[in-house]
Amino acid sequence: MENNDLISQGLTLMVFGMGFVFIFLTLLVGVTNLMSVLVTRYLPEPEVVPAAPRRAAPAATDEAQLLAVISAAVHQYRQRHRK
Amino acid sequence: MDNVIKLFVSSGIYNMTLGQAVMIAVGLVLLFLAIKKNFEPLLLVPIGFGGIMANIPEAGLAFSAVENALHLGTPELVGSIAQAVGLDAGAALKAIKEAYASADAAAHLLAVQTAADAGFNNGMLYNFYTVAIASGAAPLLIFMGVGAMTDFGPLLANPKTLFLGAAAQFGIFATVLGAVGLSALGIMDFTIQDAAAIGIIGGADGPTAIYVASLLAPHLLGAIAVAAYSYMALVPMIQPPIMRALTTADERKIAMTQLRHVSKTEKIFFPILLLILVALLLPDAAPLLGMFCFGNLMRECGVVDRLSDTAQNALINIVTIFLGLSVGSKLSADKFLDLNTLGILALGIVAFGIGTAAGVLMAKLMNKVSKHPINPLIGSAGVSAVPMAARVSNKIGLEANPQNFLLMHAMGPNVAGVIGSAVAAGVMIKFVG
Repeated sequence: MENNDLISQGLTLMVFGMGFVFIFLTLLVGVTNLMSVLVTRYLPEPEVVPAAPRRAAPAATDEAQLLAVISAAVHQYRQRHRK
Repeated sequence: MDNVIKLFVSSGIYNMTLGQAVMIAVGLVLLFLAIKKNFEPLLLVPIGFGGIMANIPEAGLAFSAVENALHLGTPELVGSIAQAVGLDAGAALKAIKEAYASADAAAHLLAVQTAADAGFNNGMLYNFYTVAIASGAAPLLIFMGVGAMTDFGPLLANPKTLFLGAAAQFGIFATVLGAVGLSALGIMDFTIQDAAAIGIIGGADGPTAIYVASLLAPHLLGAIAVAAYSYMALVPMIQPPIMRALTTADERKIAMTQLRHVSKTEKIFFPILLLILVALLLPDAAPLLGMFCFGNLMRECGVVDRLSDTAQNALINIVTIFLGLSVGSKLSADKFLDLNTLGILALGIVAFGIGTAAGVLMAKLMNKVSKHPINPLIGSAGVSAVPMAARVSNKIGLEANPQNFLLMHAMGPNVAGVIGSAVAAGVMIKFVG
């Protein structure tokens, strides 16, 4: 009798425990997503104002800048080594 | 001649019991694993050394004043302690110890004072244990340091990975069931509190395991802490076979989409949000997750770098020393050497295995229903063990597809596992505490 009691306690703990962990983390997923949406909409990072094109735009400028720097360096190198 | 005999009678050789010799050997094995095999050396060196010190015969480093008085005191003193806890003066030592453990506060105090009058003091390791673990301080301070070291970026970029951290906690609860099952069959003798504390080993989170054990089953703390830390060191060996068995080669090759950029503001808001959610839903997890969020906020807010730096370096190192020695004090022979310890070690590894499997299966399910592909290998990182479990996911992923770096993707479920096991701990404390 006492043994069955122990097992049923274990089962209850498992069902409630797993259930609660999932409910808690599901809520956390929801709240986190909401927070991310609100933050990107209302509190964007100062460098990049619009939220949507943020991923594409800086990549493009980065690449252009990188290209400029590399060609300048190559240019300098060639000039130096021409003589 | 008399003096020589006296010296010999008080020596370690004369007083060493078999249990103490075995436990000193266990301590040496832990030191060997830590130093030579590099198993969680930061913890196993202090734990192993503390374990050896706790078993030095006659020194009584791991015992309270009363236990020392009972062991070393004159028969008259033992008699007066027996009277203090409400037994007659001729009672057996074992009965006195049991009565002392269950005595009410007044009788307890009287026994302590009787021992103090006779000049007996608490052992050094016993004091460390009282301050560091019995008070709950050390595991919580470590959790603060872990919070200060945790980057929630990968988790915020893909919050769905929180589900993987939840699924991996299944190992905890399945093990609780295993432990009560063993008791019901009469093989072991665990209460539901003991079972809960053993299950939390499956959370793969040292401080959480120690915190829960100190609240629910202090007498099992040594075995639980040793099991938790040894298995965390063994993650690279325990997890891969389970991960390979549950996934196909094609699934292991799945490449995941690049994580988006996460802004600083989001990272500052997250710990506060988590704390509010804990406050609203599960106050029993508040000590653990509160300290965790506090540490993380110090890291992310950027205005208290000095505090954050202390929390994740100097303070966590200091606390680790005391925590390790205190856990070592629980490795004294009379508390560690019994069948239950073997049961705990066996159940602990089962907990790890089930947690890993549940995480991988959950990731497979999410891969089926989600728009973006999810590599099932990151599911195993849902058992905390930061960052070891994430590295294992990355390594197995690279074996299947040398271009596929899963490390950052696996860090999401990995830190989700820390939150998940702290929530599970809160539920345990709430239901059986």
